Amino acid sequence: MRLAILLALLLGLASLTGAEAAGPLAFERGSWAKLRAEHAGQPTVVHFWGLTCGPCLVELPQWGKLQAERSDLRLVLIAADPLPQEPERVVATLTQAGLGDSESFSFTDSFYERLRYEIDPTWAGELPRTVMIDSDGKATVLPGVADLAQVRAWLDAQPKPHP
Amino acid sequence: MRKLLLCLAALLAGGTAAAQHQHGKPGAGAPEPFTATPAFGADDTLWLVRPMVDRIVVTHSRDLGKTFSQPVVVTPEPMNLDWGPDARARIAVDDKGGLVVTFGTFQDKNFNGRAYFARSTDNGASFTRPRPITADTTSQRFEVAGVDPSGRVFAAWLDKRNIASARAAGRAYPGAALAYAWEDGEADFGNTAIALDNTCECCRIGLAFAGAGRPALVFRNIFPGSVRDHAVITFQDEKTPGQVRRVSVDDWKIEACPHHGPSLAIAPDGSYHVAWFTDGAARKGVFYARADSADAPFSVPRALSKPDRQPGRPYLLASGAALHLVWKEFDGTKAVVRWQVSHDSGRQWTDARTVADTEDASDHPILVADRQRVYLSWLTKIEGYRLIALEDQP
Repeated sequence: MRLAILLALLLGLASLTGAEAAGPLAFERGSWAKLRAEHAGQPTVVHFWGLTCGPCLVELPQWGKLQAERSDLRLVLIAADPLPQEPERVVATLTQAGLGDSESFSFTDSFYERLRYEIDPTWAGELPRTVMIDSDGKATVLPGVADLAQVRAWLDAQPKPHP
Repeated sequence: MRKLLLCLAALLAGGTAAAQHQHGKPGAGAPEPFTATPAFGADDTLWLVRPMVDRIVVTHSRDLGKTFSQPVVVTPEPMNLDWGPDARARIAVDDKGGLVVTFGTFQDKNFNGRAYFARSTDNGASFTRPRPITADTTSQRFEVAGVDPSGRVFAAWLDKRNIASARAAGRAYPGAALAYAWEDGEADFGNTAIALDNTCECCRIGLAFAGAGRPALVFRNIFPGSVRDHAVITFQDEKTPGQVRRVSVDDWKIEACPHHGPSLAIAPDGSYHVAWFTDGAARKGVFYARADSADAPFSVPRALSKPDRQPGRPYLLASGAALHLVWKEFDGTKAVVRWQVSHDSGRQWTDARTVADTEDASDHPILVADRQRVYLSWLTKIEGYRLIALEDQP
């Protein structure tokens, strides 16, 4: 009980500092299937990035801008570093890029071959990587730094929900 | 001290060290290196170097890995060890039985590294205080050391010292430089020289010797258009790196770091053997090629696996007239180590066989030979360290 109060206090303090207290969700075995099921029927853009990936860190703020510009962008961010990274650094990096409120995961299992295999057996782990999944579950992969014009065109082509 | 030794002993048995954070690390939850690197001495003692959270330790085994000695700590103070997926503390045994340990640390959060070495001349009972391999403080990573046929220790690494001068002159400087130094006596490495500028900056280097004073290095190079394919350099003599020889045109155009370096072996007949990973436009997966000599062109690459099995981390070893080759792949449930052997200088190979597997995280597979045979050396999270004898069937 006392622990619960302490935790609540700590969480309260963390939110006072301005950092998003939630942190990334754990991406582990089975997470990909769960994520796909939760987003089934909704056009979703999954962006894989990493703290250990220089080009990813350069690209990330562009995704922040796109997120601010497009309310129809359902964006999921997955930090896919082969070695699990400190959650605080993942959060700080996303927040700085304007992505602090996006749905976010981080690899927490160093058996990365298995995580990649579940996502796409042919994905050798190259980052960044973007996967656009339409309402029928059809995936379009953009390897490397994404051409955001292509992402916008894809978003424009998705059926809009009825008002 | 006793407590530390017990911790280390428990860790060597296979556990990770999440609860053992001490000083020298950025904080709890920071990544940790998970590697074990072997070398056999002339008396068939197996030496093993391992990072333990923030220290480097060396143990040895006189019964082919069944039991290990108490670990000897190489790093008296905790250090922020390089945990990059292709980084590795290494150990080499010289012709007098002396041990050379090399390892890398991170200087900052931008992955600038510092490469260190330590020596033991008392059969591993103690090590000299680790010292930087080079005086330059910019950044060194992926250090590798080996003993040439005349007994001299050679070290090579990826070095970023030339970036600042290039930028000052208004020039871009992609990647890093391939740097090297020879041991100067037994106490230190001599002057650093640059063999080649603008190599890929985050993949391990493969080292073999074409003769005394003639190291050969395989590395991921940056070819025009940011194509990161593999190349070999063979030294003409101790101070003269030879021409860059491209192993294969895979056409992997990537502005990033694959963290996936190659492996090189030179057979007694002088033939060159390279295995590597690529995700290029021309081919994807793990491949092998051979060349008759240091000057001959490389053969057409041979695929070792299918790209949908996450193949990677190939390793080659020439032992007597045999060539051994292992790599790692994923079968949907397990990570497996596949093995092939050739007895005709790499022209024909046995069918690939699985020699070990695991159902969780694992280090890269490594090959090592004593006077009798070749072994797979593999550290896995579940099973711990294993030394597996490879049957050498033609």
